[in-house]
Amino acid sequence: MNSSTQKMTPEMFEPVAKDTLAQEGVASKKITFWGDVWRRFRQNKGALLGVLLLVIIAVLAIVGPDINSYSYRATNYEITNQETVGDHWFGTDGLGRDIWTRTWYGAGISLLIALLATGFDLLIGVPYGCISGYYGGKVDNWMQRIIEVLYGIPNLIVIILLLLWLKPGIIAIALALGITGWITMARVVRGQMLKLKSQEYVLAARTLGASTRRMLTKHMLPNVLGPVIITVMFSIPTAIFFEAFLAFIGLGIRPPQASLGVLINDGYQVLQLFPYQLFYPALILSLIMLSFNLVGDGLRDALDPKLRQ
Amino acid sequence: MRRKLYLSLTSLVVASLALSACGGVQDDTAGKKKQIFNMVDVSEPPQLNSAKTSDASSLYLLNNVMEGLYRMDKNNEPIPAIANDVKISGDKKTYTFTLRDAKWSDGKPVTAKDFEFAWKTALDPKTKAEYSNILYPIKGAEAFNMSKGKESDVGVKAIDDKTLKVELKNPVPYFLNLTTFGTFKPIRQDIYEKYGSKYATEPDKMVYNGPFVMSEWKHEKSYDLKKNDSYWDKKNVKLAGVHTDIVKDQNTAQNLYQTGKTDFTSLSQEFVDKWKGKPEVMPFKEATTFYLQFNTKNKFFKNAKIRKAISMAVDRKTMTDKIEKNGSKPAGALVPPNIKATEDQMFREMTKEYVSYDKKEAKKLLKEGMKEEGIKKIPSIELLGYDSSNGKKDQEYLKEQLNDVLGIDVDLRPMPFSQKLDLENKGKFQITFAGWGADYNDPMTFLDMWITGNSFNRGKWSNKEFDKLIKKSQANPDFKQRIEDLKKAEAVMMDEAPIAPLYYRSRLYLKKPYVKGLVTHPFGADFTFKWMSIEEK
Amino acid sequence: MGRYVLQRMMYMLITLWVIITLTFFLMHSMPGSPLQHEDKIPVELKEQILKQYGLDQPLPVQYVKFLGNLFQGDLGTSFKYDGRSVTELILQGFPASLQLGLQATAVGVLFGLLLGCIAALRRGSWVDNTANIFSILGYSVPNFVLATLLAYFVGVKLGWLPVGLWHGPEYSILPSISLAVLVIATMARYIRTEMLEVLGQDYMKTAKAKGLSARTAITKHALRNALIPAVTVLGPLVINLITGSLVVERIFAIPGMGWMFVDSIQIQDYTVIMGVTIFYSALIIVTMFLVDVLYGIIDPRIRIGGVKE
Repeated sequence: MNSSTQKMTPEMFEPVAKDTLAQEGVASKKITFWGDVWRRFRQNKGALLGVLLLVIIAVLAIVGPDINSYSYRATNYEITNQETVGDHWFGTDGLGRDIWTRTWYGAGISLLIALLATGFDLLIGVPYGCISGYYGGKVDNWMQRIIEVLYGIPNLIVIILLLLWLKPGIIAIALALGITGWITMARVVRGQMLKLKSQEYVLAARTLGASTRRMLTKHMLPNVLGPVIITVMFSIPTAIFFEAFLAFIGLGIRPPQASLGVLINDGYQVLQLFPYQLFYPALILSLIMLSFNLVGDGLRDALDPKLRQ
Repeated sequence: MRRKLYLSLTSLVVASLALSACGGVQDDTAGKKKQIFNMVDVSEPPQLNSAKTSDASSLYLLNNVMEGLYRMDKNNEPIPAIANDVKISGDKKTYTFTLRDAKWSDGKPVTAKDFEFAWKTALDPKTKAEYSNILYPIKGAEAFNMSKGKESDVGVKAIDDKTLKVELKNPVPYFLNLTTFGTFKPIRQDIYEKYGSKYATEPDKMVYNGPFVMSEWKHEKSYDLKKNDSYWDKKNVKLAGVHTDIVKDQNTAQNLYQTGKTDFTSLSQEFVDKWKGKPEVMPFKEATTFYLQFNTKNKFFKNAKIRKAISMAVDRKTMTDKIEKNGSKPAGALVPPNIKATEDQMFREMTKEYVSYDKKEAKKLLKEGMKEEGIKKIPSIELLGYDSSNGKKDQEYLKEQLNDVLGIDVDLRPMPFSQKLDLENKGKFQITFAGWGADYNDPMTFLDMWITGNSFNRGKWSNKEFDKLIKKSQANPDFKQRIEDLKKAEAVMMDEAPIAPLYYRSRLYLKKPYVKGLVTHPFGADFTFKWMSIEEK
Repeated sequence: MGRYVLQRMMYMLITLWVIITLTFFLMHSMPGSPLQHEDKIPVELKEQILKQYGLDQPLPVQYVKFLGNLFQGDLGTSFKYDGRSVTELILQGFPASLQLGLQATAVGVLFGLLLGCIAALRRGSWVDNTANIFSILGYSVPNFVLATLLAYFVGVKLGWLPVGLWHGPEYSILPSISLAVLVIATMARYIRTEMLEVLGQDYMKTAKAKGLSARTAITKHALRNALIPAVTVLGPLVINLITGSLVVERIFAIPGMGWMFVDSIQIQDYTVIMGVTIFYSALIIVTMFLVDVLYGIIDPRIRIGGVKE
């Protein structure tokens, strides 16, 4: 661009002193999208509290069952239904099992189920909804019919069949969840896509020749994130309660394994006599929910492109 | 929009307050009605067609709205009801009943023909009755039911309006007992044919000859009985009616009982501690035994010593006292204690209990058994079981106990009832947790199903001596010798341990103190309301 | 639009047929039979009875027969409730479920909208925080636990309302509240998030600039746009409430359809399973259709017929 006639001299190629470089440096460093997200997320005290709580619960779910000397399945019929006895910190249940151990053991299983549910939502629900909503027309039509079919088939039948084919346990429940768990997410994302695709900036991007892939990932998906995060927040308890519901009707994970759902279910049966048996698992579940929500809110605010300065 | 919202919210609140206000008044008056017994039940009868129905709710309802030839009294002895008298032939195979003057609720007389029609209807394969096999002691009954014989060959005949002659295939000591059972109740042919498949699905689509009639039936919600004014013995019926609400959840039933909305409910183990020692707790002894059944075709469990080892490793007292907590008793044999052997003696009193808790012996037997079979390592064991919360607790106990005592790690497999039965029928199990309740008051109801090839013998256990003893007893007119043979049969069975008996089950109920004279029965129908009354509250 | 509706109708029928077919074969692949719940029937007798019912015929034959009867509007009679037709059973259970579902939806949507709007408009205030906490609690407590707590404290301890049964309007208050809490929580969350997003949009500034009152701006512009995801989740939510209130129905001893369906699956009452599946599926399909139509009404920019070219 400049004159090509300028004469080159060796001095011109000498390295600049380091401090000079620093002086010449841009006043503020380039902010990447994720850097920005992290910066804003960090500022949200609630979100950080949520992360902290989740970490604590996750750690306790892993090491908690080993902190005292009891196993989640060891029974002791001398001390059934005792609220405070020895080092059973949360008391014992109807078979004399340690509720502390069972609660953390159960929290682990429930967190796993929550994780799986989130996985299904993000891996199946979001792309499915995006494609369905973005393309519209015939594609949308068929994809929505498939959802209706999945909704229509009574999933209890499918679960009973799964229980017969597989051993009842996390895998059977995960598959049962997988069949219908992502549908709400797909519907939400689709609804958002329908709304977004008629907005001006999308039209502008399209006019400028953005590829479909770019349209979806760069322009539309970030705008769907708010509802997506909320839906994830809902699908976590839905999944945990789904498992609890299975326990309620006698399906569900294999005893003597426990999940928070199973424990809450057992606890509610003896609510009038031993309310503490419901209290602890319900408390942990609520804390899990609370922290997921705090994190979710934080993420939502941090990710929102419209709030980006 | 805001204003509208506000308005509708207010009206909603006001409406609900108004509704709850008037609701309270209604309930108060309902609670003070005299001689009405309020109870709850977990399910309602599918219908009240005595030829078809077989569930517990139908059976006790039929027992109260219908009258058979005999009726179960307070001590579970059959007493004459519609039958006035019976003559039994010397070979104990022919029963001739004479009927008393009794009327149906529409005023027509109850005749011998009504019994003949009812029993033959139950046996007709087209009826698709699920409990028709209870009639099999009658000559020709099984053949007709299996479409292998004619209706006219069935051994029941109305000689005239007041005489019913019944011929049995073999002499059985419990036949009079059977005539109290639901399937043996009479049915009026004209009514049955008038309503066809709708017979007895609504209170006005049937007629009654028992102490009560059904006056209202709100499906899946509630039903009402009221005293039958055409009943032959109505002077002995004090109760004016029974109101039953359908309540599936135990917590709810508890709440209803505590708030005085029901006088009677079953008491689940979760609430036992709350009511311990209170006079309102009413025990109900069933004639039901729960046991572990081994699949004797399994490589591991074909060995009797291994089966016995497992049986001896279970501390039954812990199961009954710490888990069941409902008055169930540890079982050391198959036939429960309230099954009669002779006129005045119980079967259990004449024999011993065979199994008891013995850790040492259990370990020893397991070692010996495994040596006999040449098994070095204990294989993975799966226990099939019920998916109810009680059932699961029992199974969780068994898992821990077998692990502690024998070092056997059992996998639990709770299944919905239908699938559990299917797996059992197909022999796809190693051990299954199961139970059997008496159909009639005789040890045979527990023993005859274990003969070789019987479809209920799901563990495929087979023993020639046992088979011989049972077959002989099925046709033995010498009832004394018969009991001796049955005692021997049970001993043979317990020695080989195709099952490990766990407990004789009981139930608990809560009954308000002003409810008097409720009679319960361990077999057939659960309750008789006929002699009940409500005292001043 | 007329053509679109007609086309949708056709699709609905096809979807229904697919559901019926899949359910029929899945249901029959469950081991066991409708007679299996009665363990006192000898195998020989059972086979004899199954033959009388025509259940010994090959599946395709049974399927064709079933479809034939269905075309004549005959759903058959129940195996368990012998002599009662499936239609009768549905009509007997549905009113209670419907009433309960609609009441819970009405209460839930009203309070949810209110809570969500207020929280968004007063973002960060104590109202917002309280609403947030309520909504998190609302879905971290399983409805059967809530139902039990309400029945015990309001019903037994305080004696204000019936603890169960279904004898009049006052009997529906506690169960409706138990169900509504989740709706309130869900609605409030979605509305709050969406409102926040909408409030930040340029057209809201325009609306204010051109002198619209705050109320008009909010109701005419903000709320309408915020409703999209809410409507999306509302569809399945209403279906869940009508069909899935089974646990609450059970706890309050309400003669609804929920438990009947679960029961029919567990005892394999084939005709009832099929009847209820068809009924529920039709309900779901129609609701999904209505949701799609609602999209168009709430946001005229959305054209569900296809991509706007």
